[in-house]
Amino acid sequence: MSDFYQTGVVTTLHRLGRPSLEKLESELMAFSRHRPMALVLPALYSEFEADALKGIVGELKKVKYIKEIVLSLGRASDEEFKKAKDFMSVIPYDVKIIHNEGKRIREIYSTFDRHDLWVGEDGKGRSTWMSYGYIIAGGESRIIAIHDCDIVTYSRDMLARLVYPVVNPAIDVVFCKGYYSRVSDRMHGRVTRLLITPLIRALQKIVGSYDYLDFLDSFRYPLAGEFAMITDLAWISRIPWDWGLEVGMLAEVSRNYSPRRVCQVDIADNYEHKHQPISPDDAKKGLMRMCVDICKTLFRVLAAEGVVFSESLFNTLGVSYLRFAEDTMMKYEADAAINGLVYDRHVETKAVEAFTNAIKMAAKVFMENPLGTPLIPSWNRVSSAIPGILDMMKKAVDDDNR
Amino acid sequence: MERFMELLFQPLKEFWESSVSFIPNLLATLVIIAGGVFLAWLARLVMTRVLRTVNFDRFCDSSGLTAVVRKAHLWSKPSEMTTRFIFWFLVIVFSMVGLSALRLATVDNLIAQFFLYLPRAFSAAVILSIGYVIAGFISRAVLIGAVNSGYHYAKILAEAVRLLLIVLILAMALEQLQIAPGIVLAAFSITFGGIVLALSIAFGVGGIDTAKRMIERRGEEDEQKEKGRDIEHL
Repeated sequence: MSDFYQTGVVTTLHRLGRPSLEKLESELMAFSRHRPMALVLPALYSEFEADALKGIVGELKKVKYIKEIVLSLGRASDEEFKKAKDFMSVIPYDVKIIHNEGKRIREIYSTFDRHDLWVGEDGKGRSTWMSYGYIIAGGESRIIAIHDCDIVTYSRDMLARLVYPVVNPAIDVVFCKGYYSRVSDRMHGRVTRLLITPLIRALQKIVGSYDYLDFLDSFRYPLAGEFAMITDLAWISRIPWDWGLEVGMLAEVSRNYSPRRVCQVDIADNYEHKHQPISPDDAKKGLMRMCVDICKTLFRVLAAEGVVFSESLFNTLGVSYLRFAEDTMMKYEADAAINGLVYDRHVETKAVEAFTNAIKMAAKVFMENPLGTPLIPSWNRVSSAIPGILDMMKKAVDDDNR
Repeated sequence: MERFMELLFQPLKEFWESSVSFIPNLLATLVIIAGGVFLAWLARLVMTRVLRTVNFDRFCDSSGLTAVVRKAHLWSKPSEMTTRFIFWFLVIVFSMVGLSALRLATVDNLIAQFFLYLPRAFSAAVILSIGYVIAGFISRAVLIGAVNSGYHYAKILAEAVRLLLIVLILAMALEQLQIAPGIVLAAFSITFGGIVLALSIAFGVGGIDTAKRMIERRGEEDEQKEKGRDIEHL
């Protein structure tokens, strides 16, 4: 059981006592009549061959309060799309699969190209954005929840806790992010533990207090891929298509809503999904690419907030980050010792070194081109540029799923 | 014997002569069709470039035309569909011209009918496209009017109006194309008449009490007026 301490500017909803899933689900059923919910699942076809998705589908079969599931399928042939459809057909409510490599959706992408609307490369950012478009076009769901498809320890309790704060009108929250611990015989979540938190603290020390930094620092797991939001937010958000998605999404939330209407919720005692290698020498793959993308997004958002970045600031940031990361490692070492967990100081130090390099690389890219790769435009802008695009999108997905 | 041989070879000879005289026609047909296909291909190429230069696809997207063709399950680019249409139209036209070089009476009749039919097809296309735009406009006006008047079923009403107009436009286009005009006219009259009759009956039966109340109220108002006049005289 966790403590009940409230940290930072956003509300934290802890797991206290023994919350009843049945009670939560019956309340969700009642709320769903007025506030229908959609679940977005970004997935690659390779995930259909892994065990995690079987477990997720098995759990989702038992959920009764979700109106529709939109699965955005990437890297799949037409044959594989049919197999994915069969796989998902056991779910007894409306499931739509967006076949991103299919003829119709490719035509939708080329329509975006014709209007100079760059929607990014294949990835989670673009997949979820397309799903938002389909849900907006359908106009049936008022709440959107998102989680990954590689969660090995998935239970429907996660989904119920994730959507509850946004669905319950008494809580009055527009965005809710999940958090959890990632522990096996050791602690995981290196990027959050050893990059994001020390980097945010270092930035706070150097550039001072900024709303976005305070907001980001309030989240216990800012890189968690699980969140729920009102559909209006999907209309107006401009999100990065790369690994900066989570940080970029939080920037949009911070920009558009008061932190009073944002919360984080403890959705699982433990969370396990696929782990990625660091690949310290190659910034174009693995965790290194993820770290560079995240840092770039962070720098751009802060620059938009008014922070003036310079070479000397980045030099100071590198040193300051290292100090914070070292302090953090000491804290985690003690945490591991008291809980009887394995703690490999050498591996953690190597990770911090790699992350320091990632910050340098991101700084270099940012200094060369501060505007950088554009964000995916909001659906608001897209539907203004191409008036019938939402209808086209809905037709394409519905025809694919027929 | 000589007579028999003549009977035997005469048809063969005639067949040979007619074949020899037909071969130039056939060759001319093939050349015209081949040339036509080449010209159609060239026209397609040129049109593709022209449409790309004038941003035709972008225009179709912005004006909502792409959304309309998507509803018809067509998922190619608007420019691609247009150039493909031009290509096949020219191929058909040149095939007809080529076939006329065969100098066969039946084929000539068919070709004459085809070319006479073209203006009708063109008018039907114009009716369909203008009609579609007008139907959309009227449906939108009904939607706005009904919403402003506070009707709960404004969207259904607007869609119903749109559907009725599209049925009317389709009937007009089919009539123009002379596709079973009698049946189309009868079907349209029955459907439209049926709808109007159904509405009248529904309104009449459902509104008996309302109508009765209205008439009674009117009567009472007249009586009140009469009484009022009496008092004035006093």
